[in-house]
Amino acid sequence: MIARETLAALTLGAVALSVRLLWPDDGTLYFAMLVMIWSIFALGYDISFGLTGLLSFGHAAFFGMGAYAAAWTMQRGGAGFGTGLAAAMLMGAVLALAFAALATRVSGLFFALMTLMLGELVSLIMTTRLRGLSGGVDGLPGVPRPDWFGVDFFENRHFYWVVLALFLLTLLACGLLRRSPLGQALLAVRQNPVRAGQLGLDVALHRLIAVTVSGAFSGLAGALLAGLMMYAGPQTLGWRISGDVVIMAVLGGSGTLIGPVLGVVLVEALREWLSLYTQHTYGLIGLIIILCTLYLPRGIAGLWKARA
Amino acid sequence: MTAPALSCRDVTVRFGDFTALSGVSLDVAAGATIALIGPNGAGKTTLINALSGRVALAAGTIALDGRDITGLPAHARARAGLGRSFQIINIFPDMTVEQNLRIGAQAHRFRLQPFWRPAAAWPELAAQARAMAEMVGLADMLDQPVGRLSHGRQRALELGLTLMAEPRVLLLDEPLAGVGRQELAATVALIDRVRRGRTVLLIEHNMDVVMALSDEIVVMMAGQVLMRGDPASVRADPTVRRAYLGDGEAA
Repeated sequence: MIARETLAALTLGAVALSVRLLWPDDGTLYFAMLVMIWSIFALGYDISFGLTGLLSFGHAAFFGMGAYAAAWTMQRGGAGFGTGLAAAMLMGAVLALAFAALATRVSGLFFALMTLMLGELVSLIMTTRLRGLSGGVDGLPGVPRPDWFGVDFFENRHFYWVVLALFLLTLLACGLLRRSPLGQALLAVRQNPVRAGQLGLDVALHRLIAVTVSGAFSGLAGALLAGLMMYAGPQTLGWRISGDVVIMAVLGGSGTLIGPVLGVVLVEALREWLSLYTQHTYGLIGLIIILCTLYLPRGIAGLWKARA
Repeated sequence: MTAPALSCRDVTVRFGDFTALSGVSLDVAAGATIALIGPNGAGKTTLINALSGRVALAAGTIALDGRDITGLPAHARARAGLGRSFQIINIFPDMTVEQNLRIGAQAHRFRLQPFWRPAAAWPELAAQARAMAEMVGLADMLDQPVGRLSHGRQRALELGLTLMAEPRVLLLDEPLAGVGRQELAATVALIDRVRRGRTVLLIEHNMDVVMALSDEIVVMMAGQVLMRGDPASVRADPTVRRAYLGDGEAA
């Protein structure tokens, strides 16, 4: 089972690499980068949801604030891209820790509602009270890309390597996390928190850790998206983004390593393809979600497991 | 004089208007096995929940080896050496026997769970899981998903999980509940082995088992301790017979 997980992750990496080598046209690269960035987000999200069992509807806050944190450090602070990414991860982690400290006091659906509320609060504050920092509805255009080794990363075929490297690192980190004692303990917390506590595991503390790590990866994804679009905006803070990442994780197969990535590929591909024919993409994706919940309760990744 | 291994004073637990435990005081000497008996609703499980940190006290104190643990959360009490099993089987349902026991080993071993290496990098975790599986008679089922085990085997795993935290004091809430006739003797023998060298508080309805395993019996009724004594005298007591054991012979 574990060997199969490694194999699936390697396949994903090989596909991402071959896109760059075989189809280096701008549109394809942009789409593939979008998929990888959302995959980092979905992989991070699933540390909270799939691994630990905490259904959050507030992850857009970590994602969007990551984008802003990167924009601020680079545009106002004059820092480099690497520092911007680190700031974004820190922002995502700190904000997630704050969310978790409040929301893990309640469980189940109430956790979901609490995170939704906190996420909307952040979005509201950013778009109304902190317009000077957030750029209001216009957002912050002109977010830079890296300036390393004299390479022009404003070319998508160069920036692709940055995104690819961080995607692979995230995949590796999440794969390792899942097999580490921490990952196993989080799985135990999801399956039976009472028992985990009675075995001596500090359930509350490990939930905080899980959401914080999840927030850090979400912040990283937000910063990369800002780099890709060269723009950070309040749209990335909205509940719709939070909903998208839940949908991606669930459709792909929450609780597995590659499931969230497959979900991102599916949703982004559907969005791209359906928007050629109709404006009601979300409605159709909704229909697909309903069908998948009925017939593929464990997501696309569940297809493999079901046959095993 | 040594402090009792487990001791509670005037423990009161309320659920809304309902008082589930009112002023329960109980000392369990180190190394003793005490059985808690009493009709349904007497507060036996609530007492175990209160001792293990599952429910909050409205009043009273709890001490482990003379140290006050009243304010500690469940996981901290477990780390302090207080283990419990559950009346309804309480294991990790989507894992194998080995994974279940390994979680127990790592929960005990690390206060903060490490993330930088796979769990396999600590071979002692798997070794401890294997040793425990042997102890509770599950050595040949390490790779089995726990859902496929018989009820008696799940009971054994439940007990094994509880033991992974190396508790000095064990709270066993109906460890035989749902165990079939053919697995009963083996499970009783297992509990008998486990209680050696430990302090045990046991809830059990099967009076033959209670008589065989316990040094003393505490009878509970309506959230209070009705009486306490050695098995023979409790069995003979007319109040207990009327209240609990069925008064057919006494009448």
